Amino acid sequence: MQRMACSFPDEVLEHVFSFVQCDNDRNAISTVCKSWYKIERWSRRRVFVGNCYAISPGMVIRRFPELRSIELKGKPHFADFNLVPDGWGGYVAPWISAMAAAYPWLEEIRLKRMVITDENLELIAKSFKNFKVLVLSSCEGFSTEGLAAVAANCRNLRELDLRESEVEDLSGHWLSHFPDDYTSLVSLNIACLGCEVSFSALERLVGRCPNLRTLRLNRAVPLDKLANLLRRAPQLVELGTGAYSSELRPDVFSNLSGAFSGCKELKSLSGFWDVVPGYLPAVYPICCRLTTLNLSYATIQSPDLIKLVGQCQNLQRLWVLDYIEDAGLDAVAASCKGLRELRVFPSDPFGPEPNVLLTEQGLVSVSEGCPKLQSVLYFCRQMSNAALMTIARNRPNMTRFRLCIIEPGTPDYLTLQPLDVGFGAIVEHCKDLQRLSLSGLLTDRVFEYIGTYAKKLEMLSVAFAGESDLGLHHVLSGCENLRKLEIRDCPFGDKALLANAAKLETMRSLWMSSCSVTFGACKLLGQKMPRLNVEVIDERGPPDSRPERCPIEKLYIYRTVAGPRFDMPGFVWTIDEDSAMRLS
Amino acid sequence: MELQLGLALPSNPTQGFDLNFYGCESKEGMVSDSCYQDTNDINDKKRGFDQTSSENAADSATAVPRTLSLLLWNNHPNEEDDYPKDLENHSFFTPKEDDGDGDGLVGWPPIKYSRRNKRVCDENNGAVVENGYGCGGRGSNSTYVKVKMEGIPIARKIDLSLHQSFETLTETLMDMFGQWWLETGHKDSNEYKLVYQDWEGDWLFTQDVSWRTFIRSVQRLKLMKSSG
Repeated sequence: MQRMACSFPDEVLEHVFSFVQCDNDRNAISTVCKSWYKIERWSRRRVFVGNCYAISPGMVIRRFPELRSIELKGKPHFADFNLVPDGWGGYVAPWISAMAAAYPWLEEIRLKRMVITDENLELIAKSFKNFKVLVLSSCEGFSTEGLAAVAANCRNLRELDLRESEVEDLSGHWLSHFPDDYTSLVSLNIACLGCEVSFSALERLVGRCPNLRTLRLNRAVPLDKLANLLRRAPQLVELGTGAYSSELRPDVFSNLSGAFSGCKELKSLSGFWDVVPGYLPAVYPICCRLTTLNLSYATIQSPDLIKLVGQCQNLQRLWVLDYIEDAGLDAVAASCKGLRELRVFPSDPFGPEPNVLLTEQGLVSVSEGCPKLQSVLYFCRQMSNAALMTIARNRPNMTRFRLCIIEPGTPDYLTLQPLDVGFGAIVEHCKDLQRLSLSGLLTDRVFEYIGTYAKKLEMLSVAFAGESDLGLHHVLSGCENLRKLEIRDCPFGDKALLANAAKLETMRSLWMSSCSVTFGACKLLGQKMPRLNVEVIDERGPPDSRPERCPIEKLYIYRTVAGPRFDMPGFVWTIDEDSAMRLS
Repeated sequence: MELQLGLALPSNPTQGFDLNFYGCESKEGMVSDSCYQDTNDINDKKRGFDQTSSENAADSATAVPRTLSLLLWNNHPNEEDDYPKDLENHSFFTPKEDDGDGDGLVGWPPIKYSRRNKRVCDENNGAVVENGYGCGGRGSNSTYVKVKMEGIPIARKIDLSLHQSFETLTETLMDMFGQWWLETGHKDSNEYKLVYQDWEGDWLFTQDVSWRTFIRSVQRLKLMKSSG
């Protein structure tokens, strides 16, 4: 038997493995032989856990004793839209406790949609002497007190990023807890904070951190203070302004304009709350270098947007409100030839009628003019199959396509037909499509197209679509690479779910709310599939107090090797092998 | 290894769909046989299900549980809408049994809280709504919300941008529904309390909140009879 693989000393193999960073490759390495498994597990430094309940902290720690970096995700994506009741779960506490004991050299923690408390933050601050990176994306449960603990104790902190988290704002003084000799800050994102931070502390902090490259301010930082900050950090690469409004004064304007001109490395801009259009020209000098522009909070009108965007020839990512209108998107198509990602958000999502001249035409223009466009999020009020087919043919390189037609069940406005063939064209032409969100009037046919063509699809979001279980069945049986499926308000029931039970073990998770899944089917799945957690979320009371054929409110199924979880609130029920209905 | 339900579905007029054909195969042999040995249970359950539903085959193209119906999306039996397409009442499903409010789509359109509530601007004192959305230059920011009065089937819409206090709002609402009162014999506005639904879907009493809190998060209104 050849023993080539074992002829290298461990140190050599470890060195070779250190060049392999991608998780999938590392996983593959670990399956070659026992020796490689052993070396790989001792040398793995970074782990990504896409569902914090899929595995226990203990299991991760036992396998990878020398981690430096961990990323965890908690609540399902639909929690962003209030579909997951408060208290569902996603607590990071057990992970922090376990890692505090096991990984004294942990450097990075990245969390998404998890609950983290001030106590957890204090434990992080005290336990990890070389802690460098804290990213809390859409998290909740903590206050500025927890941030103060991190600021005070993490002497080697590089990155503090609170993107879109919900933070209880007790005081802006937490920032002053960074010691005077602390100089290692590289990235600070406090855009989500409501209250004012101590501005002088902020100025001093920015001034003494020479490696600061990302600074995302919150709305409370006034415009007339921005120039001072910029002059202290001309090396900034990414900037999020605070409120971008002030009385129009020539001195403030020229100060700001000069400060922006001094930032030769600036490539990304965001913020722009409360924009006063008269101050926009202050950023014109740097527009040609911008690769990312986030104007999604900027309530400025199309003409101003056109003037701004028209100068951003190197733009790769644009987030903007639908105030840009079709005319503005025509300008984007003409000027931003390197555009890769476009997100258009609705300025008035709850209004009964359109308030802006943004239609499907804007998206068609950009799909024609921007050959590198691969990621789209687009809110609009009308769409046609013809437009979707044009977009699909223009952009076969599309990898992420999320369309939200604001009114559920809206048909093709030209033909009044369902939008099945339009989305069908998208999946047929865009062979590398990884993420898709559907909207509008859709029958089971669209799912047949998706199951037939969307072979690389990993995430699908469906709302108010389909006619029968056949639709769900097409997706579950056809989409070979499907990892996440989230469905709301669709007439999908038990049959497709039960017929494709094994498929669910190949996916990270399935969410179904306001569909027609019965408790009987959930019990069956829970009993027969030990490696799935089948969670019934129902705020009406115990599911067995209603007839078994009564549809449940919400269902969240995910694969796990950790067994049922024990931190479920009263409105979550799970069923395990011994067929007892389990509450936590 | 396969999981098959062993079903013979009623013949489907539009698609000759045979679930047997689509019997799911587990790839890589991940799932052991023991999970599927007891397929009789599944079949029995499903056979019963199909037996019932085949009687109703005429009602729908595929077997759909009787507890469901697919609402026609352009008709709602209980309300006369000012607009033909009422965003908030679109539902392909009958509302949940105990959801007395019935209407209102939680979490739709799918935008995060930080991006919501762009439309309302308190122009009187120049304040902007907390989430940073000042009023754009356009005058047509839509500020209409739906109002229902308990006991009256027909809902109305009211433009909140015309109001700066609960007093003027309540007065306008009373006028709006005034005709009904005369007909139903209720005259006393004190008999009714104003409640509103916020962006999270919760119903709150307006008397418990400040105008500013209210105007920032209101999605719809209701006039409810005060009990006792």
